[in-house]
Amino acid sequence: MMSDDNSIIRVNNLSRHFTVADGKSGFIGSIQNLFSRRYTTKKAVDDISFSIAKGDFVGYVGENGAGKSTTIKMLTGILVPTSGKIVVAGNVPHINRAQNARNIGVVFGQRTQLWWDLPVLESFDLLRSIFRVPEDDFKRNFEELSETLELGPLLKVPVRKLSLGQRMRCDLTAALLHNPRILFLDEPTIGLDIIAKDYVRKFLKMVNKERETTIILTTHDMDDIEALCSRIIILDQGKIAYDGSTEKLKIDYVREKAIEIELHEDDTGTISIPNVKLVKSTANKKWLRFNQDDISVQEVVSQIMRERRVKDIAIHEPKVGDIIKNIYANGKAASQQTKLQKTLP
Amino acid sequence: MSSENTHTDTFPFGPAKPVYLNFIEKSFQKQIAYKFEYFVGVLNGLLFIFVFTSLWNAIYAGADTLEGSPFTRSQMISYAVFAMLFRISMTMEDNEIGRKIRTGAISMDFIKPVSYPLMLFSEAIGQTLFHWFTRVIPLSIISLLAFDAVMPQAPSAYVLTAIAWVLGYSILYIINFGFSLLAFWFTEVFSFQLMKFGLFTLFSGGIVPIDFFPDFAKPLIALIPFQYILYVPTSIFIGHIQGAEAIRLLLIQAVWVFTLGFICWRVWKAAQKKLIIQGG
Ligand SMILES: Nc1ncnc2c1ncn2[C@@H]1O[C@H](COP(=O)(O)OP(=O)(O)OP(=O)(O)O)[C@@H](O)[C@H]1O
Ligand SMILES: [Mg+2]
Repeated sequence: MMSDDNSIIRVNNLSRHFTVADGKSGFIGSIQNLFSRRYTTKKAVDDISFSIAKGDFVGYVGENGAGKSTTIKMLTGILVPTSGKIVVAGNVPHINRAQNARNIGVVFGQRTQLWWDLPVLESFDLLRSIFRVPEDDFKRNFEELSETLELGPLLKVPVRKLSLGQRMRCDLTAALLHNPRILFLDEPTIGLDIIAKDYVRKFLKMVNKERETTIILTTHDMDDIEALCSRIIILDQGKIAYDGSTEKLKIDYVREKAIEIELHEDDTGTISIPNVKLVKSTANKKWLRFNQDDISVQEVVSQIMRERRVKDIAIHEPKVGDIIKNIYANGKAASQQTKLQKTLP
Repeated sequence: MSSENTHTDTFPFGPAKPVYLNFIEKSFQKQIAYKFEYFVGVLNGLLFIFVFTSLWNAIYAGADTLEGSPFTRSQMISYAVFAMLFRISMTMEDNEIGRKIRTGAISMDFIKPVSYPLMLFSEAIGQTLFHWFTRVIPLSIISLLAFDAVMPQAPSAYVLTAIAWVLGYSILYIINFGFSLLAFWFTEVFSFQLMKFGLFTLFSGGIVPIDFFPDFAKPLIALIPFQYILYVPTSIFIGHIQGAEAIRLLLIQAVWVFTLGFICWRVWKAAQKKLIIQGG
């Protein structure tokens, strides 16, 4: 794909296989297992290539077991690839693990990089030593992060006493104290309530914009993707099923649109445009549906505006989440005809 | 509130510390979180010292010497007390790596740009310092008052013991570290841990001095590193081993530190390659 000079992560033909023993069950089976065992190879990541540009905010999505975390582990240098090449900000992660670690920040939603028995503050102090963050940078970073994430009351609390959402705020801070160029987030919003999620999203958006940090985000929450990511990579059984901008995903996969129109009270006329289906109609409200291959949104709207007195108009398209769900469910080809039923009125 | 206070509120950190020193300090601090465990530890130590000194007193049956024993009764009591104190001073977390590999928590350590073995070693030192201050020193004072343990007179005994203790501690640390590395290859390392525990209990000299083993066994025990952990420092401290023999044993200890250290370092290199992080 794009291998411009602007890229900060490059992945070529990357694979990671796991060998899994197929144990026989039962008493006789477990004795047989002692002597002979059959192994199968699981291709967790199967020959994928992509490159990510500086400042990108990439959503890395896929069903459970698709290989997302496996990829993130290889990108952060804690898992050795079976084959293929990775370069992250000039380093091969599993070879220059420590060097790579200085350039990246990592949050694994189910884990914490803070020290369990120590107050949050002490963990930050350790991270400052570990990453040798210069005094001024550290001060500026800490003050900014603790203010935006409202860490004040949490700083003296031992990590094991924090709630999930509180801990996540501290973990995000921990990942950013050394001002990394790239931030890897593996399900950072897992288990958070709606308010906390919103909070984290706003924060990540700010980090991406203001610090120009490249962010790779793994999540099952499609609202995260829709709200944050300029680009989506969809993984399906270890292979890339889609890679492109979030906008392009909609253009590529969704040809169908729906329009909801509210007419002025005294306008009781109907709408009839070739290739546009009137799905539902009440006295003042009309629901239309059409395929963009037949007629453009613009044409439909302008024709309606000419003929009727419109009070309100709303254009609907399916959410990214529904498109992605469709890609998971049907594979690439079938999803070309993503239908609108689920999301549209 | 004064403006100074507000300042410390927004930036509540002291000056930056060198990383491994900071690990030592934080590990020390971490121990304080477990006050209950601490008191149990002290009581446990006291109980063990009481049991072993009583046992030796019973064996010596009031006499000053014992048939077949190179120790006088008073030396024997001192041996029991100090071997136990040294053992307590060397208490360390011995399978943290195994636990972290099983839970996958090790991934969070591996994303940090530090030497993992050095980080663990620093944490062990912090823990050990904590044990010295909070267990060994108070227990030593109690033991000197309550049991008939005798402190050495010659300053050289203290210097030699200090060296022997550091080397013995290093041997134990490296053995523990090496065994815990097995977790990179085997998901279940309990049997290895059990074997290590058995070898340590029998041959470190923590419970029975090596002198009491049958003559044919002594050269064999000298071939494995365990007696250099507790037997050598304790014997030097109570004056059972002195002079040139003490120096010779210190040298052997040093050789063990380097040999085991080298082996562990190689195993560590291989373990890193082997690295598979469990869990999602
Ligand atoms: N250490 C391992 N040993 C064997 N198989 C593994 C190992 N780690 C991962 N796998 C397998 O590789 C596949 C991909 O796992 P991975 O954790 O990357 O999925 P994921 O996309 O992160 O899924 P989730 O959304 O559930 O977190 C799964 O089938 C998993 O069972
Ligand atoms: Mg995962």
